[in-house]
Amino acid sequence: MTETLAAWTPRVLSLLRIITGLMIIEHGTAKYLGFPVVPALAKVQPLSLPGVGGVLELIGGALLIAGLFTQPVAFILSGEMAIGYFMVHAPRSFYPLLNGGSLAIIYCFACLYLSTAGGGPWSVDAAMKRA
Amino acid sequence: MDSFNRYLAAGQPYILSIFRVVTALMLFQYGVAKLLKFPTVPMLSEVPPISLFGIAGMFELVFGLLLILGLFSRLAAFILSGEMAFAYFIFHFPQNFIPLLNGGSLAIMLCFCCLYLACAGGGPWSLDAIMRKTD
Repeated sequence: MTETLAAWTPRVLSLLRIITGLMIIEHGTAKYLGFPVVPALAKVQPLSLPGVGGVLELIGGALLIAGLFTQPVAFILSGEMAIGYFMVHAPRSFYPLLNGGSLAIIYCFACLYLSTAGGGPWSVDAAMKRA
Repeated sequence: MDSFNRYLAAGQPYILSIFRVVTALMLFQYGVAKLLKFPTVPMLSEVPPISLFGIAGMFELVFGLLLILGLFSRLAAFILSGEMAFAYFIFHFPQNFIPLLNGGSLAIMLCFCCLYLACAGGGPWSLDAIMRKTD
């Protein structure tokens, strides 16, 4: 089983990248395109800290889904999520379960890993390298 | 940009181990909250041990701990990935199709993070790696 799983590593890396991108772009579209309608996110001002975060999520998420400039984009998003965690969630409680920051932590570290591992074979980066 | 990419890529095995520990901690906290009642989360501490959620808590507690330590990382991550897929489709998916509205983003992320860890293994900072060295 180990060999089968290990053989799939590069492709599952691409899958993880696409899912992470989709989950992140969702926050950006809720803030700027009004979809899906989340009352707390739809009222965000573009020139506020969550608004700037929304721009990063919208553009960075799209680039991450496509797998274009994966490493620097994931690095920036990882930093954004770390800031998001420490500014919004950490002051509420020490425990992620109580401050609601589990998702920010997992985005932060998933993006940190993607910034070191790249986008895998199913990405625009890989297609451009082949060309 | 290439030199920056190479600089980041040099840390890849170690970041994989850190990523594994963090993913495992995020799962482990749910197991601890459900079965050991710490930290006290009203919704989770009332879960009876012999129920779908209680058994999920045992999975999170045991396999979460194994994944933190990096012991049988692949097996533990594979089981947890499946558990999170179940959690998403049983608990979150019926509420709404969109993850942002059904609150299932975390379950999806943990599912795919664990799926990747099942493929990639635990990295150099894990009991798996230590045991392989001593063999």
